[in-house]
Amino acid sequence: MHNDVRLLRDTAGLSQGQLATAMGVSRQTINSIETGRYTPSLPLAISLARYFDRSVEEIFHGDHDDA
Amino acid sequence: MGTMTMHSVTHSRWWMPAFSFVLGLLVLAAFWAGGDPVSGLWGLGVMTAVAALFLFGGRSETLAGLGGPGRDERWVAIDMRATAASGLVVITVLIAAFLWEVGHGRDGSPYGQLCALAGVVYITAVAIQRWRG
Repeated sequence: MHNDVRLLRDTAGLSQGQLATAMGVSRQTINSIETGRYTPSLPLAISLARYFDRSVEEIFHGDHDDA
Repeated sequence: MGTMTMHSVTHSRWWMPAFSFVLGLLVLAAFWAGGDPVSGLWGLGVMTAVAALFLFGGRSETLAGLGGPGRDERWVAIDMRATAASGLVVITVLIAAFLWEVGHGRDGSPYGQLCALAGVVYITAVAIQRWRG
């Protein structure tokens, strides 16, 4: 599972800490998601998607997805 | 007066320090009742040091996670895996100790009972979790 959270966060000009505060998780959790070491729960994935005004599948990609 | 939920209590920065200190007091009381207050005071000292570590541990994510206030869903997952790993080790040791005791002509107490308890609790937990979906 890989994702575009870092790209979206950088584009939005947010630090990991700011995004973590907005999502109600720790900065380390955001870092772990961005580096692919932690797969977020569905509620957190949906929260991230809504925050960046995207769908979940636009942000999170399975290892066998196209694109 | 606000309502305190279990979640708010266990996520408070005071939860683990208080828990550690109270555990130290229980250790002291147990040793004292057994006629060895000096060992109890050592136990209380160790647990007080642990409590202070949690309270004044600074910005360590590990301490914040173990202590309560830093717990988010990732920490819950970490905690679950760590608990499973420690349970696996304890059960393995219990089985080995039971076999050792039986192999040396003893009845395997208390390891056999503890193995049985672990087995019953595991099966019960699986049944409850399955029922809850």
